Amino acid sequence: MIVLENVSKIYKNGTKALNDFSLEIQDGEFVYIIGETGSGKSTLIKLLNGEEIPTKGRVLVNGTNVGRLRFGKVPLYRRKIGVVFQDYQLLKNKTVFDNIAFALEVINKSKEEVRKRVKEVLEIIDLANEFNSYPTELSGGQQQRVVIGRAIANNPSILICDEPTGNLDPRHSKEIIELLEKINRSGTTIIVVTHDYVLVDTYKKRTILLDNGSIVSDDSEGGYIHV
Amino acid sequence: MFRRIGRAFKEAWWGIRHHRAMVFSTVVTISITLAILSILGVLIANINQITYDIEEEIQVFVKIDNDVEEKDIEELQLKVSRISGVAGVVYSDADSELTYFIEQYGESGSIFEIYRDDNPLSRAFIVSVSTGFSISEVSKQIGTLDGIAEVNFGGFAIENFICLLGGIRKAGLVLALAIIPLAIYLIYNTIKITIHSRREEIGIMRLVGATNSYIRIPLVLEGIFIGIIGAILPCVGTVFGYQYFYEQMNGQLISGILKLVDVFPFTLYVSAILLAVGVFVGLIGSWWSATRSLRWKR
Ligand SMILES: Nc1ncnc2c1ncn2[C@@H]1O[C@H](COP(=O)(O)OP(=O)(O)OP(=O)(O)O)[C@@H](O)[C@H]1O
Ligand SMILES: [Mg+2]
Repeated sequence: MIVLENVSKIYKNGTKALNDFSLEIQDGEFVYIIGETGSGKSTLIKLLNGEEIPTKGRVLVNGTNVGRLRFGKVPLYRRKIGVVFQDYQLLKNKTVFDNIAFALEVINKSKEEVRKRVKEVLEIIDLANEFNSYPTELSGGQQQRVVIGRAIANNPSILICDEPTGNLDPRHSKEIIELLEKINRSGTTIIVVTHDYVLVDTYKKRTILLDNGSIVSDDSEGGYIHV
Repeated sequence: MFRRIGRAFKEAWWGIRHHRAMVFSTVVTISITLAILSILGVLIANINQITYDIEEEIQVFVKIDNDVEEKDIEELQLKVSRISGVAGVVYSDADSELTYFIEQYGESGSIFEIYRDDNPLSRAFIVSVSTGFSISEVSKQIGTLDGIAEVNFGGFAIENFICLLGGIRKAGLVLALAIIPLAIYLIYNTIKITIHSRREEIGIMRLVGATNSYIRIPLVLEGIFIGIIGAILPCVGTVFGYQYFYEQMNGQLISGILKLVDVFPFTLYVSAILLAVGVFVGLIGSWWSATRSLRWKR
């Protein structure tokens, strides 16, 4: 479960990114977070993965007070939540298999565990046949599926995606959302930050609309949101 | 565990291979730094030995006043030996002084035997000075005592020479200490470039929860490797270069008065120090670099 209690985030330069922000997300939910540029969506994600510390309030993820984590404990915490950022794409010099394996190797999984889990992940993202391809040989949608595969490699209970369909055409966006739904069905909490209102309208989920660092609406039905 | 070490080595090696030009120039600079260090080390060790040898040899000749009575000599000797810097005092009566004097003249010296009964020479103390003390200073102190007629030592030339050697030694040490930070900075920059060219990989590692030490170890290893590679040539150069020099000089300086330090095990010690400095410089430089670029974010 994710709980934010009266969280404010003011960056060092004085920018107020989040304002007395409270939010609760239950295990197994699928949530969209939408809002204009600069409304604080990425800041919210960075608070959740421990990259930023709240200026005020508490961020609790599965009982962990994320803002209070010691520097050395942050990596261990991150192993339990998957994050898809646009800044972190695939490594061009590694195959699909190796890109996913990389996420497990760097947290000291044994060779056997890595091989077994990567195979499972390749099935989930439906790219078992492309395991030996290099990223440049894949379509944008396929690449994004590998990025998601890498994020879920260590079986996180929460998967957070910042603009997962950012550069994709509608057909590939649909593919991505359907993959996320599939992952969600296996019990993983999914949080998707997006600008893609068509998507939000088509695949209706709980939708949280941010503006200027505050929640404007939180609709459990979703859809029909026009900003 | 072994897999982890293997990976760290592989990645460190990757870094070295992928920035060959940068690594090469750093290795060259480290080599030059260590070569300078080696030359300084050889110089300082030899200066130490020479200074020690000279100071061992030097004796101060202290003439005793003719008025001093025989029974007071012992007390005077005690006074001299109490002066700080005095290592030993040997009394030499006029008779043995004459014998010594005659011996110095060799064959023809025996003509001075006529003075044996009415000896014009003074009684004297032969004083040796502890290393580290100024000979002229100690001599001056002795001269202030009652009952001392004259104090003689090798002269200011020797003292100035020792002083000069001391100056060179100090300058060498300062230079050696000054170039080490430079070498550290070079490693720092090289590793920064590795980090930059691997920033995607490092970013992903952080994202999926690799520990900081996991990220840091290959980087630090790379720095240590560079330091070791940079130390190889200076080490070999020290052993063979000094050996060559030693043989050319026949193991001595200035017509055999001053002996050079023996080649072994001296050059091996110097090489070990160079290697240690190489490792140290690589470790500190890369640790600094890795810490700075990993710390900016949680
Ligand atoms: N590291 C930072 N330092 C200072 N200000 C920041 C920093 N990161 C974000 N901001 C500011 O905080 C506000 C919220 O930024 P945030 O990135 O959370 O918005 P966003 O909703 O993700 O926008 P976008 O849709 O463009 O991704 C913005 O005004 C932004 O300029
Ligand atoms: Mg953003």
